[in-house]
Amino acid sequence: MTMPPDIPQTTLGGRLYDGRSSAYFDGDAPVPRDVTLLVDTNTRVLEIGFPAQEMAGVRWPLDEIRQLEDTAGREGVILRWTGDPLARLHLRNVNVLRHMHRLQASAPPKGRGRLAAWAFAAVAAVTIQIGILVPLLADRLATFVPPAGERALGEATFGQIRQALAGTGLPPLPTCDNEDGLAALEAMLVAIGAERDTDDAVKVFVLDHEMVNAFALPGGYVVFFRGMIDAALSPNEIAAVLAHEVGHVENRDPTRHALRSAGSIGILGLLFGDFAGGAAVLFLTEQLISASYSQGAETGADEFAYVALEEAGVSPAALGDMFERLRDKYGDAEGVFAHFVSHPTLSSRIVRSREAAREDAAYDDINTDGEWSALQAVCD
Amino acid sequence: MITSLPEATPPPVPEQGMDVWFVGNRSALFWLALKSGFWTVLTLGFYRFWMKTRLRRWYWSSIRPGGHPLEYVGDPLEKLLGFFIAVVILTFYIGIVNLLLMFVSFSFFQSSFVGYFASFLGVIPVWFYAQYRARRYVLGRTRWRGVRFGLEKGAWGYAWRALVHWVITICTLGVLWPRMTFWLEKYKTDRTYFGSAKLVQGGRWQILIPAAMPFAAGVLALGGLLVWMIYLAPMMPGAEELLEDLMDTAGAALRLNYIPSGWVGVWRLYLFIPIFMLLIYGAVHYRFVSKRILTDHKHSEGVQMRSRLNGLRISMIYVLGTTIAYTILLFGVLAILGLAIGLLGPEAFFEEQMGMADPLGDLPRWMSLVIIAVLYLSVFLFWSVLHHAFVTYPLMRHMSVTLSLVNIAGLAQVSQRARDEFAEAEGFAEALDLGAAI
Repeated sequence: MTMPPDIPQTTLGGRLYDGRSSAYFDGDAPVPRDVTLLVDTNTRVLEIGFPAQEMAGVRWPLDEIRQLEDTAGREGVILRWTGDPLARLHLRNVNVLRHMHRLQASAPPKGRGRLAAWAFAAVAAVTIQIGILVPLLADRLATFVPPAGERALGEATFGQIRQALAGTGLPPLPTCDNEDGLAALEAMLVAIGAERDTDDAVKVFVLDHEMVNAFALPGGYVVFFRGMIDAALSPNEIAAVLAHEVGHVENRDPTRHALRSAGSIGILGLLFGDFAGGAAVLFLTEQLISASYSQGAETGADEFAYVALEEAGVSPAALGDMFERLRDKYGDAEGVFAHFVSHPTLSSRIVRSREAAREDAAYDDINTDGEWSALQAVCD
Repeated sequence: MITSLPEATPPPVPEQGMDVWFVGNRSALFWLALKSGFWTVLTLGFYRFWMKTRLRRWYWSSIRPGGHPLEYVGDPLEKLLGFFIAVVILTFYIGIVNLLLMFVSFSFFQSSFVGYFASFLGVIPVWFYAQYRARRYVLGRTRWRGVRFGLEKGAWGYAWRALVHWVITICTLGVLWPRMTFWLEKYKTDRTYFGSAKLVQGGRWQILIPAAMPFAAGVLALGGLLVWMIYLAPMMPGAEELLEDLMDTAGAALRLNYIPSGWVGVWRLYLFIPIFMLLIYGAVHYRFVSKRILTDHKHSEGVQMRSRLNGLRISMIYVLGTTIAYTILLFGVLAILGLAIGLLGPEAFFEEQMGMADPLGDLPRWMSLVIIAVLYLSVFLFWSVLHHAFVTYPLMRHMSVTLSLVNIAGLAQVSQRARDEFAEAEGFAEALDLGAAI
């Protein structure tokens, strides 16, 4: 863009507009200049003259004039010329605008390549971090966390969960303490060969809640909900779930998971910034990540359970039976949605657990009938 | 809305001074915020860079010192770029550092609290850094009468000064808070330029003490009341209770509407209500009146600033506006909770909270989750729109129209300054949730 030539003293074929209350800023001094406005329709140029000053005016080609967007107030507009990034014309008389046809045209975006490169780098950094570095580091570090630390962490988390289930202001959800029932669980632990009577021993609790679920926490905490025991048709099914959770404990999955989420939650928080508080999106994404973490972990725990059940003389198919009950109650997750839930689809796990059972073998029950009745009454 | 008043006649520029006009109209802002917020939700947050830019353009162009609007020339794409840059840099810092801290916390302190606390502490310097950088970006993209504002480099200098001031303030139990306010503002102001003119923060930190008086009065009243109720005329005679016990028991008594026999002067509990209101007023009063006092001591060669901001008025705006915005938010959230419980059943919440929503994913459930997510985003969007309309807008209007320049002789000497190029814009502030006001 070349500098606009001076305005000729007399202009033919132009239209003069009222320039009062309008002001021109040259982009150097913060001093408003009074203007005369003349539209030359032949050359399609807006001539801005400065009557108060002994200086030449400027010529803005009509099609290169743009209007500033999102300007508050209804009177007047602010114009700029694409050839001068700094100069501004504060125009009060909007009649002039009808000669300008490209007021809203946007500038061609610049630096697209750079933007794309950084976008790629950002996606790559987050992917590498969440998908590779954090899990790798978490798996490594999990084996170095001292048992006392794990136990304390598990205890604290267990307390928080009991509190959350009870609701604020109420005492934490009680654990069930019928001694005969707990003895039945103890017998199961011994039968599946879990470590007993040491500091690292698995600790089993039953929470008095109707949810059909069980979970493991760092430091060897395995927790059943009463709903799970109510749903089971035989003690073997409970033993199978117990063996599965002990598998998680043996693999230190809960500790790894805690470390992983510590690393990845902060990163996700960064991505969503202050948009929508982030919470909802954060929740979905966290769910996705923890699900893909635990698919491998779940398979590992299932496999541990098959072996442990086999050694205890119980059919690994019991795990499948329990899953079948879950599926009947809650339905299965297939397709896209399967990725969001933390366990691999139940159907495939049911099939696998039944394949793990030997067809010719004679399997036993893990508990006596008396023990099983005691366990069913553990919360009474 | 009485906003179109100053528009009618552009103010003639007086020789000695210059008033600031505010021309924006609340309903225009409401629609702009709603429209751009809608796009933000629809694009899963990516439009927020455009939303921020457009709202700033609007606010800036409303503020018209001497009748000429400020102009915001920031570009959404540079914000997006800055955000990507910040993500690349911060991802490694936050991910790895958090994980290591958590490991140390598990291993040596047997709790996750230490880890969270340490990771919070570690982010604080970056937070101040980001704050200064964001201010530099916004000033660098602001013009008035075609001339750029600017802020000199110095973000790390700001960060360590802010840290030291915070430590001093905490160690003195908040008594030296005005000193911190003053020196941090002075650091920023003394690096601020309008074109070639440098701004100077005059005065001493003691000038802010009057601004802190209402809050100090609130604290004294609270302390006095506690001393009265515990030592001078004990509410529970004979009991040598600790402060916390007293508060607990008193709270329980109020909830149950039951007053144990033997308590003396229980009515005094009601005195807490005016005292807490005084504390809230004091905090808002300090925040804005300290700005007024600081502004009155800002000058540049041949230009003097003056603010006649009204502490009581602005506190009313702030409290009332915030109350309106939060009340509507509360109703929205309650509606969503009701709907969510209806769709999912109450148990779902606990399960999700604990990350063990076991194998129960099926299609209808996920559809209802999507519905809830959309509603959640809409409520949040609506809240931010209301916050703009009822808090940011009136605050900005009051602060603008009470501002003036009492001497503008120096303006004629000002010339343009060079453009402040920096790639990451306000990316760090964006990533770290600083919000940056607008």
